[in-house]
Amino acid sequence: MKGFDMTEFHKDVLKIDCEAEIDRISEFINEQVRLMRREGAVIGLSGGIDSALASELCVKALGREKVFGLVLPEKESNIVSKVFATKQAQKLGIETETVDITPALEGLGTYKRRDEFVKQTFPEYDPSCRIKITLPPDLLERDAFNIFTLTIDDGKGNQKSERLNKSVLNGIVAASNTKQRTRMVCLYYYAEKMNYIVCGTTNRSEVVQGFFVKYGDGGVDIEPLAHLYKIQVYQLSEYLGVVKEIINRPPSPDTYTYEVSDEEFFFRMPFDMLDHLLYAWENDVPVDDVCSVMGLKEDQVMRAFRDFNSKAKSTEHSRNMPPSLF
Amino acid sequence: MSSQNNVKGIVKQFITDNYLVASGVDGIGDNDSFMEMGLIDSTGILELLEFVEEAFTIKVDDEEVIPDNLDSLERLTLFIERKMKHADR
Repeated sequence: MKGFDMTEFHKDVLKIDCEAEIDRISEFINEQVRLMRREGAVIGLSGGIDSALASELCVKALGREKVFGLVLPEKESNIVSKVFATKQAQKLGIETETVDITPALEGLGTYKRRDEFVKQTFPEYDPSCRIKITLPPDLLERDAFNIFTLTIDDGKGNQKSERLNKSVLNGIVAASNTKQRTRMVCLYYYAEKMNYIVCGTTNRSEVVQGFFVKYGDGGVDIEPLAHLYKIQVYQLSEYLGVVKEIINRPPSPDTYTYEVSDEEFFFRMPFDMLDHLLYAWENDVPVDDVCSVMGLKEDQVMRAFRDFNSKAKSTEHSRNMPPSLF
Repeated sequence: MSSQNNVKGIVKQFITDNYLVASGVDGIGDNDSFMEMGLIDSTGILELLEFVEEAFTIKVDDEEVIPDNLDSLERLTLFIERKMKHADR
């Protein structure tokens, strides 16, 4: 990696010129639609900030008549997700359709298969319990491996947590990922029918660490947010006037019945801290300089860098084309 | 399995067979950090724990799953030895 000029790393290093950035991304979207010989863009509206921003940018680039929003809830989605997604679509004046993917997931056995794995850890589990999977909190404060913990809550004050073993973790993740992959199938149905592209919503903080599902939310035609850190997604969203409830909502994978934030599920620290450290790691900023700008100790910065390295390495295959002899 | 060399040898073989080849790493020193070498990800650590618990008939508690105990051949060997001694009592 190139040597780093310290003048480039400071607390405002991730502040962007919103107007110029919007123009740049709009031009990119327009060009890609033209190059792929399509007529517009389909976007899955989750009720979260990334898809809301992507929808704003698609409308800027293509006009509201050329953007189609798909709302794809399932029985375990947070009920506000659909409400916020619809509100964002109404604000933009784009055409939308809501498709409940629960029957498709039931056909695939998503819930049944996942529950069977949950029962291997908690035999007393029944589907009325809420579940979530989390990583240890406070990455910067203490050394801890990325060990996933499963928590079940019966809604009557009884909560149990247990470290997952590999086969149960893989089983739960494999079943849960069918949710994102089913959404991808739906998005492509509408995109092909309309001769539109599928617009992705993954941001840089997610891309670099592999926080997306291969051939799920990662299965798209373009990724107009992939160069933006999450806090830059917030800057642009504020600037473009994304629906307030979406901006104020804590980011969540919205995949498990027990509400879990992206921070609990994967990132292990708040986005403001995460994004600056990620930028420093990606750009080889000397650790001493990171410490002085961020007010952190060396071991805290090293913990974060180790975590980024581990996640980036283990998810490298998700960012690459399938290896072949082609 | 009572001597440190045996424990270390068994662990080293497991690490070599399961992580070194996949990571494209040639060899590992006793004090090399698994985390810093990028050898072990979130499923890798679960695999390692399952192996350690089964091979040495010990139970690793959640609060023991920390780099101080597990993040090098040397640390892991000492940790396993400590756990085995406690189990013998």
